[in-house]
Amino acid sequence: MIAFILRRLVSIAVTFIVVSLIIFLMMHAIPGGPFDGHDMPLSDAVRAKLMARLGLDQPLHVQYLNYMWGVLHFDFGVPYQSPGDTIIGLLSRAWIPSLVLGGAGVLIGAPLGVLLGMAAALNRNTWIDYLASTFATLGLTIPVFVISLMLILVFAVWLNWLPASGWGKPERWILPIIAYAAIPLATYARYTRSAMLDTLNRPFVTVLRAKGLSERRIIFQHVLRNSAIPLVTVFLPMFIGTATGSIFVEAMFRVPGLGSYFVSSIEKRDYPLEMALMLMITMMYCLAYLFSDIVYALLNPRIRAGGKP
Amino acid sequence: MNALLKIAGALALAVGLAVPALAQTTLVAPGQNTSGTYMDYMKTVYARATYAEVLQIPLTSFDKDFTLTALGAESWDQSADGLTWTFHLRPGLVWSDGEKLTAEDYVFALQRAATDGYDFNWYWDFAGGIKNWKDVTEGKADVSTLGLKAVDDMTIEVTTAAPKPYLPSVVSLWYPVPKHQFDKYGDDWATNIDTVISSGPYLLDSWEKSNNSVVLVKNPTYTGPWQSEVDRIEIDPTLGAPEVGLPAFLAGDADYSFLNTGQVPVASQRYPDGIRKNAVFAVSYISFDLNSAPFNDVNVRKAFYYAVNRDELTSTVLKDIAIPAGSILAPGYPGYNAEIAAEAVFDPAKAKQFMADAGFPDGKGFPEIEIWYREEGGYNGAIVPPMAQYLQSQFKDILGITMNIKVMPTQDWMDGLLKKKNNIFIAPYEYDYLDPSNFFGIFYNGGRHDHHVEAYDKLVAAADSNPVWEERLKLYAQAEQVLIDNASIVPLVHPITIAVLSDQLGGDASTPNKQGFTPLDRLAHYFFTHLTKK
Repeated sequence: MIAFILRRLVSIAVTFIVVSLIIFLMMHAIPGGPFDGHDMPLSDAVRAKLMARLGLDQPLHVQYLNYMWGVLHFDFGVPYQSPGDTIIGLLSRAWIPSLVLGGAGVLIGAPLGVLLGMAAALNRNTWIDYLASTFATLGLTIPVFVISLMLILVFAVWLNWLPASGWGKPERWILPIIAYAAIPLATYARYTRSAMLDTLNRPFVTVLRAKGLSERRIIFQHVLRNSAIPLVTVFLPMFIGTATGSIFVEAMFRVPGLGSYFVSSIEKRDYPLEMALMLMITMMYCLAYLFSDIVYALLNPRIRAGGKP
Repeated sequence: MNALLKIAGALALAVGLAVPALAQTTLVAPGQNTSGTYMDYMKTVYARATYAEVLQIPLTSFDKDFTLTALGAESWDQSADGLTWTFHLRPGLVWSDGEKLTAEDYVFALQRAATDGYDFNWYWDFAGGIKNWKDVTEGKADVSTLGLKAVDDMTIEVTTAAPKPYLPSVVSLWYPVPKHQFDKYGDDWATNIDTVISSGPYLLDSWEKSNNSVVLVKNPTYTGPWQSEVDRIEIDPTLGAPEVGLPAFLAGDADYSFLNTGQVPVASQRYPDGIRKNAVFAVSYISFDLNSAPFNDVNVRKAFYYAVNRDELTSTVLKDIAIPAGSILAPGYPGYNAEIAAEAVFDPAKAKQFMADAGFPDGKGFPEIEIWYREEGGYNGAIVPPMAQYLQSQFKDILGITMNIKVMPTQDWMDGLLKKKNNIFIAPYEYDYLDPSNFFGIFYNGGRHDHHVEAYDKLVAAADSNPVWEERLKLYAQAEQVLIDNASIVPLVHPITIAVLSDQLGGDASTPNKQGFTPLDRLAHYFFTHLTKK
């Protein structure tokens, strides 16, 4: 197991370098730079000064090496969009609202989705199953900005129960958390239903029933555990995707989170921030999959990553 | 009895404390850009933080009727040769840290702009015409040779390369920079709320950089004209998108919201007294590469000019959000000439004839073309995409040609326009200062289109420096006639923005001007100081 983890860590390092190189080259391949796109073009002299100030007058390979040298020392540079700041400072500040709202959305949505999926699987082809499946399908197919808008209209405009948007007071968190919870809930409902039905049809469940185990014990101790692997596979990537912010949810609810930076860093050609965000996501996904592999092994002793089943 | 007195005393204290808190008025307003770098207009215009300009006092500004008003400058005069302007500062102005606001703060602002890579640099050459500006920005001359001088603490002298009769209008975008603060912190003075100081009606109370939202509060040290009439303003750029702004407005979380076309009927029905329209001083037009086929033939360009049915375009697909444009100047803008605007008629027969004269009868033999427009939000984002599709269909029907459409990022679009990577564009432009020279300048001596028409350049140069307003107008009219005769561009529409205001809002800034339009935050200084809230 230790050898496996070490091998994976080496492959993560290689992935990190390759991804950084690809992102860096793609970023600079997009036409235009951070000072283009105004109503009137900048003069060459002004542009040269601005580019020199940001080190963009250096050859590309020098820029890349300088940036990566900084990364090795946990210095991701200064965001062009926020010159008095550092990228670490900006990310750690903007991540809090995204982590709180998105994290809460997953942590609430996922268990509810599991319960919904279980209800559907255990009541297959009944109205409960149809209702749960419809709910899950709607959750996955209705765009999150439409869900957000509906929540605002119903709970803030018509019923006047909650504030429409903003950040700060906890009552302002409720609607965005519900919006964030929609996708995890729907995803988990579908995965759980499908995995549980698959497990329920396996011979060992019949054997357990024949042995006289209670249905509750069969479901919770055996079926759910054996259905958990796809749920584990989905959980961490979903958590990362949601807890790093959604531009739509954050825009609709005016949350000062991380989501908007994914777009603005590209739009504004904010190279250091764009690199930092992509490297951060890359590292998080790499570590998430490593962690998932370890959890697989713990859940199912027959699985030995890199070994024989 | 003693206990009763205590209770009464406590109640009186509570009421006393509560009254000022209740009396405080807070305006919640939409902003424009969700990212901003420096709280300093004179450092960057395109990437400035939300309403950085409202914190400082410009030399002049415009009220809702677009009358030039003295703010930082109390008065000004022009030398006999027309080349030197002297601005006399208003006495008693101070920075919010107590330091005196001096002429040096204004001069320093432009000296730094000329030498330090200011993204609005072009303005002070193109509009201001300040002596030696270009040479200094290009490093060919020392900053001391600039036509700028602080004669004493209260007097600024500006020398221009040629007479600029409209300079007092141009300096409406000239804000001071606190030199004493810059000397301590460098440019970073404008990145931190602890070091940002104001010379204008508001102070910066907080700044959330992740969405560029700010809270401004009344500046107690400000003694100039246009004092704030609300105590606190929360400006949130995320409310700027009507899709976010209107639901927040309906829920009482915002005091006004801009509307998209779909929202106008609903908001008009629900808040008939709250609807405000504004004719933005802007124009969308078709721009050609005059040097490459097929648009190097004036007959082809004229065919396009006559093939646009502006009335149908603005009464159908752009209902409520644009009006027809026959001129580069919008109605109400200084120098607008109704006779010239009236020349832009829809005449399909003439359009077909011009195509035939160019050798393309009914579009036969005309190459397939592609019109480029830039992807953007705001009013242009609502207008340009449907307009492009309308033009595509109309040019097919009337001219018999195939025009494809390409939407592209702003950077690529601008690059294409300047380097002539394509031969036809939809281009929008909004005014920077109130003078016809602003719009005529974008085609002058290259401008932003590499447009070189000698007769036009001569007329614009003569108009720009002529001190007699009526004579200037005649020269500009002649210049625009040259633009039309050459069919250098095809003016299409002038945008209209629509907003809905809460009935809690009042004050001069909330009511329409003489032309029936309410400019709202397009005139930020006036707007945020002439708005009241119940």
